[in-house]
Order: sequence, then structure tokens, then C-alpha cells
Amino acid sequence: MAQPLVKKDDDRDDEAEYSPFLGIEKGAVLQEARVFHDPQLDARRCSQVITKLLYLLNQGETFTKVEATEVFFAVTKLFQSKDTGLRRMVYLIIKELSPSNDEVIIVTSSLMKDMNSKTDMYRANAIRVLCRITDGTLLTQIERYLKQAIVDKNPVVASAALVSGVHLLQTNPEIVKRWSNEVQEAVQSRAALVQFHALALLHQIRQNDRLAVSKLVTSLTKGSVRSPLAQCLLIRYTSQVIRETSNAQSGERPFFDYLESCLRHKAEMVIFEAARAITELSGVTNRELTPAITVLQLFLSSSKPVLRFAAVRTLNKVAMTHPLAVTNCNIDMESLISDQNRSIATLAITTLLKTGNESSVDRLMKQITNFMSDIADEFKIVVVEAIRSLCLKFPLKYRSLMNFLSNILREEGGFEYKKAIVDSIVILIRDIPDAKESGLFHLCEFIEDCEFTYLSTQILHFLGNEGPKTSDPSKYIRYIYNRVILENATVRAAAVSTLAKFGALVESLKPRIFVLLRRCLFDIDDEVRDRATLYLNTLDGNGSIGETDDNVKEFLFGPLDVPLVNLETSLQNYEPSEQPFDISLVPKEVKSQPLAEKKAPGKKPAGLGAPTSNPTSTVDTYEKLLSAIPEFSSFGKLFKSSAPVELTEAETEYAVNAVKHIFDGHVVFQYSCTNTIPEQLLENVTVFVDASDAEEFSEAVSKPLRSLAYDSPGNTFVAFEKPAGVPAVGKFSNLLKFIVKEVDPSTGEADDEGVEDEYQLEDIEIVSADYMLKVGVSNFRNAWESMDPDSERVDEYGLGARESLAEAVSAVINLLGMQPCEETDVVPNNSRSHTCLLSGVFIGNVKVLVRLSFGIDGPKQVAMKLAVRSDDPEISDAIHDIVANG
Amino acid sequence: MLLAVLFSNSEGNILIERFHGVPSEERLHWRSFLVKLGADNLKGAKNEELFVASHKSVYIVYTILGDVCIYVVGKDEYDELALAEVIFAITSAVKDVCSKPPTERIFLDKYGRICLCLDEIVWKGMLENTDKDRVKRLIRLKPPTDV
Repeated sequence: MAQPLVKKDDDRDDEAEYSPFLGIEKGAVLQEARVFHDPQLDARRCSQVITKLLYLLNQGETFTKVEATEVFFAVTKLFQSKDTGLRRMVYLIIKELSPSNDEVIIVTSSLMKDMNSKTDMYRANAIRVLCRITDGTLLTQIERYLKQAIVDKNPVVASAALVSGVHLLQTNPEIVKRWSNEVQEAVQSRAALVQFHALALLHQIRQNDRLAVSKLVTSLTKGSVRSPLAQCLLIRYTSQVIRETSNAQSGERPFFDYLESCLRHKAEMVIFEAARAITELSGVTNRELTPAITVLQLFLSSSKPVLRFAAVRTLNKVAMTHPLAVTNCNIDMESLISDQNRSIATLAITTLLKTGNESSVDRLMKQITNFMSDIADEFKIVVVEAIRSLCLKFPLKYRSLMNFLSNILREEGGFEYKKAIVDSIVILIRDIPDAKESGLFHLCEFIEDCEFTYLSTQILHFLGNEGPKTSDPSKYIRYIYNRVILENATVRAAAVSTLAKFGALVESLKPRIFVLLRRCLFDIDDEVRDRATLYLNTLDGNGSIGETDDNVKEFLFGPLDVPLVNLETSLQNYEPSEQPFDISLVPKEVKSQPLAEKKAPGKKPAGLGAPTSNPTSTVDTYEKLLSAIPEFSSFGKLFKSSAPVELTEAETEYAVNAVKHIFDGHVVFQYSCTNTIPEQLLENVTVFVDASDAEEFSEAVSKPLRSLAYDSPGNTFVAFEKPAGVPAVGKFSNLLKFIVKEVDPSTGEADDEGVEDEYQLEDIEIVSADYMLKVGVSNFRNAWESMDPDSERVDEYGLGARESLAEAVSAVINLLGMQPCEETDVVPNNSRSHTCLLSGVFIGNVKVLVRLSFGIDGPKQVAMKLAVRSDDPEISDAIHDIVANG
Repeated sequence: MLLAVLFSNSEGNILIERFHGVPSEERLHWRSFLVKLGADNLKGAKNEELFVASHKSVYIVYTILGDVCIYVVGKDEYDELALAEVIFAITSAVKDVCSKPPTERIFLDKYGRICLCLDEIVWKGMLENTDKDRVKRLIRLKPPTDV
């Protein structure tokens, strides 16, 4: 006997070193998948390859569309094999590959054949696969078979059809609802699982019909539901019915007898489900609660951790509303404090803390102390919070609870945990006057060795407010001044403020506080020194800042009544001058930052070189640039600025590009010119624009550029008026006109005399897309559905012969100038159809959504269906006009 | 809904995962959360000893079997008790396939079979079969014995 054992161990060593998937690589596996095409299929080998594919998919590997299609097509060949093991693998891999709608058709016939196969198991699996990959149209074809399958005598087939029904109900409810009669029949099935699945489906079909659900529950609670799982479902549906009817009825609670009888069921899950349902009844009485609590108490000492957890979790909830009902279980719960499973132990503790009485607090605290050392921080926080509420419930017990909190405050722990403890102590100090002195003392001890700056400063602030009001304020000074000596600058500054508060409130301490504050004048940190100086002057009484005692206290303890953001902006905008900074001029209303910046009072507009707080976007830059030009100031808000369009070839004498700025009733062309000839200076640079191909536009303003030196770009502008809000289009030809002067390269001086010259530029076009802002939406479908369907305009267009579908898609996107959503601008290779979703804002701030469906046929003829929804139906029409004319 | 079934080895590498109704951007979060939960609690645990946790409305039941950690996550009707059923079905099926609590090697050797078992036990977020003998027959496309 010893021999094989030794051998087995040897095997084990090898195993540890070698994984069957070691060095597995997608490309290689895809190559291997070619065996699927062999005329003589090797079932074993095919199964292995499928396993590898499954492994890859489970490791998060993704297949490209082409790869997935290739594998999928190869897999469909395997339907030829009669090997059952392989067939089972094929079913699985098809589900995992989840082929796209246009590919599904390839397997449909094979699966339909299996669905009518004599082998029951083929039927069951084929149903599951079909339902996984099918869409609505196919479903109507197979509906007849599915209905039959629901009442199939083989429970596996019936279950497969029922569970498919549950899933299909989400996507094709109207079809599944037609199966009601068959499902009803299946509820009476002798097979447990069929009954369970059928009940779930039947309830889902009828869930919106209260009367039907009530009838269902009434009939089933009388009859015999054999499956425990189905029984659990029934209990849930029953409590739902109870919830919905209890308002209408008084007296005896309906169905309560049924729930109570379930407490005596042989399956634990049913017992538990019934117990929980009873505890959750609204307005449950103690008499109703007792039997449920009794079974939960039994579960507390179960050997199964899951049952213990479930019971203690339920009891924890009951303890919130009916603490007295749970007290009977306290002894069992105390034994759970030492439970291996920490979730159970924490729940037990917090339940006990809720139900415990005053006399048991001390004993409980002793048990918890042992327990705290070996649980994670998140559990500890729960316990700390429970202790806080216990302390507020029994204020007389504050001493032992406060001691407990201070002890755990000293132990190791993360920030959140420490913060929970500090918060609890602060709340107790506030609510229980007797606890104040000892609480403050614990906090003082804590900041002596606190690694969290945030907590230290919070405690110092709290100490400054509460400490001076205690019987002996002087004993806190040592702890506070220690911070000035030992801590980082932030804490030191907070400590200085705290000292000042003591000085202001406790007259007898004032001289000593002054000594300490003066020492702070030599601190290495600016903030600490500034604060010390400020407080010394304030408290001294001779200073100009606080004239009276009340003023001092108001200054030290009163709230800062301006938003910090506004104060910061005002301070940044303040320029050192004779006039001191006046805090009363800081705006008090909370505004968005850029506005606050503009409205900073007592301050002239920031110069061009003034640093701005945020890097500004290009649009903002354009907006500022244009609004600085008086001629354009009446044009209103800038709607859109295009990207710069080059109007000259690269490396010519003069480089010019243009930006189109669109306003509601105007269009401004900004020509950015660069002179690339060192020997020339250009003066009086303008662009002569011929708008004869743009009928709706008339020139309004032309703003010449005074001079254009070598290699320092400058701008000249031409503005056009157009009908307001109308997306007028047109073509503009441009001619650069200027006076050129010779420059002496050695001196850099220009001649006095110049010669007029001109230079031909490329044309500019205003197109419809210029009136559209690219604004994306996060969820296209929701956005689409939230728009008024009456605003929808649908039409079909032939786009003629195109290079590819992708080219046609991008041409339409460019024509409309809208933002592609959900990456629908990417067209998969070789696809024959594509849907593209676009969103944007049209001039006049009209939101527009577009749904484009493309199709391409053999000779590359592309057809497109365009559906538009927008805030304004006229704009929907306008979008169609753009496409029709484009 | 059964939100996730996840197998990892003792170092926390994922062996199999099945998510249902979990958006893909949340999956990484779940993966690391579960693996950390296992790393914190499963060390030295006995085979098939069940651990429970809950987070907001979501329940988690997990265990170790040989070298493999198994996690199941559920919500609503899939509370800790239902999940215990699920995990029991999974562990017994895995043990059956591997004929003992598996080492990682054995688990990977039987990978295909285990995937098939899982396919029978959990389907698109719902518990389907619980009995290991039934699962064993089903993955061979044999009808269950009670038919």
C-alpha cells in the first residue's frame, strides 16, 4: 500500500512546477483552433483547444472582431461531431463567445435541430444557448418550441426553458407573457427545481398585477410547494402581499399562520426566511415576534457560520426597533463575541450594545476589550459608534465607556478609526457635562503622540473653545505649548491660536500666555510668527485691531463670515498700496471662481500679465481677445470658434491662417499673419474679403493691423453681419493688402517710404458645421428618450458610391460637425452596416441628437437613414436640410 | 441576482471569474476587493469552511478548497444562505471533478470540466443546479437519474 502513496507524492512535486497552461498564448491557440476545420474531427483534441480558449477568455483576454468571428465560424463546424463531451463544450464556448447578431444565423439551424433532438440533454442545452444569443425576431420563430419545452417531462429541459424565460422577460416581455399557462402548469411540477424556476417566472410575469400576485400566493400557500427554494420565494411574495394589504385590513394579519407554519419546516433556509419575514412585518407585535426570535436564537448556536451570521444580522436589525425582544438571546450572543468569523463577532457586539442594560455594561466592556485587538479597523469603527450611542443612552456609565475610548485611542489604528474615536469623545463631552474634564484630558494625552495633523488641529481648536471654561484651564497649557515645540508648522499655528483663546478668556493666565506667544515670534514658519504677532497685538488691548474686549473675542471665536474662496481671490487681487486691505469688501455670496475674480472690489481690472488661477481654454482666450475689441463688443456671446484654417502654403513669404468666430448675428474672421522675410516690415495690413459667393453676409467692420515685423505674428479682423440665428453658409475669397517697407538688416531700421502690395490667400468657407458645437452626452439612449419624440424627423438618403462605410460615416460626421457618442464613429472592418450616434448644440443653444444608420451593398453604394431629435423641431428639419444639401 | 463567482489561487491570481450585471468598470474593484478579503481571512482556514461578509446590500460568501479560493457575491434574493447553497454546489462539484480538494495544478488540469460544471450550476446570474451528481451527469450530456 505504501508504494502508490509515495508515487502520488512524487507526482505532486511535478505538479507544483508545471501548469498545463504555462506560456499559453492567444495567437498560438487561435492557430490550434484550425483543427476544428479538419474533415476527420479529433473530439479530444478539439475539447482541449476549447478549454484553452475558455482559459484565455477567463483570464481577461479579448478577441478582436475578426478573431472572434473566425473562432466562432470554426466552432460551428464541430456540430458535425457526434461526440457528446465535445458537443457540451461547443455549447459552452458559443455562449462565451456571444456572437454578434449577424453571425448568430450561422448556428441557429444547428441549434434548432438540437432543440428538437431526441436526446433530452441536447434539447436543454440548445435552448439555453439559443436564448443566450438570440434576439427578438428569432424568438418568435422558436417560441412554439420553448412553450413545449416548459412543460417537457424532462425537468432539465423544462428548467432550461423556464430560466430562459426569466432572462427573456427583460428583453421581450410581451412574448414571454404569452407563456403564462404553460408556466402555471410547471409550477405544479413534481421536480423541485422546475417548481422553483416556474414560480419565479410566474411571479415576474405577474408582478405588476397585485390581484394576480395575491391570488397566486393564496392558492400556493394552501397547496404543497415541495421545493425549499420555491418555498422561500413564496414566503417573500407572501410578505409582499402582506405589506400591500395590511393598510386596508385590521385585526388578524392575513397569511401569518402560513409564515408561522414555515418556522416548523424541515429546511433551515425556509425557517430562516420565515423568521426574517416575520421580524420585518410592519407594526409586528411581541406575540408575533416571539416564535421567530426563538428559532433565530437556535441558529445562533448552529455549527454553520452562515446560519449564525444570518441569525445575528437579523437580530441586530430587530434590536433597533424591539431591543427588549432580543434580550433573551443575549447569552448566546455573548458567546459569539469570540466567534472565529469577525463579521459575526462584530454584529454580535453591536447587537449586545443595543440591547444591553445598565448593569451589564461593565461586563460587556471587558469582553469587548479583548476582542478589539484582533479585528480590522472597519469593524472597530462600527463598535466605536455603537459605544457612543450606548454612552448617550446610559450617561451614568460615561466613566467606563470614556476610559474604554481613551484606551483604544492609544492603540495602533488608521486615520478613519482614530477620527471615529475622537468624534465620539467630542460628542460625549458636548452632551454629558460631567464627562467634559476627563474627555478633554484624554484628548490632550492623545495629541501628545498623534501622527495625524488633521486630528491634532481639530482637537486644538476644540480645546481652545472648551478648555478655558473648565475649572482649571492652566493644566491644558502645557499640552498646547508642547505642540509649539514639537510639531509641524500647521499644528504649531493651530496651537498658537489655541493659546490666544486661553489668553482672551482667562484673565489670570494672560501674562503667562504672553510670554509663550512672544517665544513664538522666533518660529521659523511665517504663519506661526504672523499669528503670534497678530494675537499679541490683539490681546494687548493697545493695538488698533481689536479696540474692545468684545471685539477681541468676536475676532477669536466668531466665525469667518466670508467664503474662503472669495477671500483668497480678493487677497490675490490686492496690490500693495497705501490703502489697507478691507475684509468687509470681500463679497459674501458664493460664486463660481471666474466671476468672483472679475468682480473683486476696490481693484482695477487685472493687467494682461496678471496670472490667472486656472489655465484658460482656447475658447476663453478667443472670447477675451474679441471682447477687448470695442467694435465687436456689441456682438453678444461668442457661440463657437473654429480651429485655425491655413490660408497659405507652407514656407511662403507670408503665413496666414484664419479662425472663424461665430456669433448669433455676426461672423468674425481672425487672420493671424506672420511675416517671414527679415528684410521687410509690413504696415497697415488688411484682408480684402470678397463675399459675392456669400449672399446673406455683409461686411460690417475691418480692423487692420498697424504693423507686422519679421517673425512676430499679428492679427487682423474682418467682421460680417448675417441674419440672426440663421445658419447662413457661403464662400469668401481673401486678398492680403499691405504696405511693404525695406528693412536694413544691419541696423534693423525701416525705410520711410513703402510700396503697396497684395498677396492672394486661399478661400474661407462658412459651412453648416460651424453652427454646431461638439457637445457629448454620457448616455445617448437616455438622452434620446428624454427628448420629445414629436421633434423627431426621419428620412433616408442615398450617399452614392463610397470608398468604404467608414469613409461615408466620417464624411457625414464632418458635414454635421457633431460629437460622436459611445465610440460609434469607429466602423469595424468589413462591416456591411453601422449605426452612429451624434450629439451637439446648434446655434441658439438648441440641443440636437442624431442617430445615423448606414448600410453598404455590393457596388459600394451607401444608403443612410437619418433620425434627428432636438429641442426645437425646426432645427430637426434644418439638420435634414444640411444633409440634403451636403 | 448572483453578481459574481470568482476562483483565485492562493496568491490571488484569478483562475475563473463570472460576473453578471456588474459593469465592466467595477469588475477590477470587485476582483481586488475579494482577493484582499481572502488574503485577510482565508490563511490557515480549513477546507470548505465558510466565511461571510456583507457590504451595503451585497453579500459575500467565500471559502478555500485545496489551493483554490472561491468567492460568490450576491444581492437581493441571493443572500448569505442562498450563497452558501451556491458555494456548496460549486465546491462539491469541483471536488467531484478533481476527486479531492484540488491543488492549483489539478484545478487547471480539469479546467474545462470545471467551466462546464459552473455553467450548469450558475446561469446568467441565477442558481440552476445544486446536486453534484446531477451536475456530473449534465456536463456529460446525460439526463439526471431522477428522470
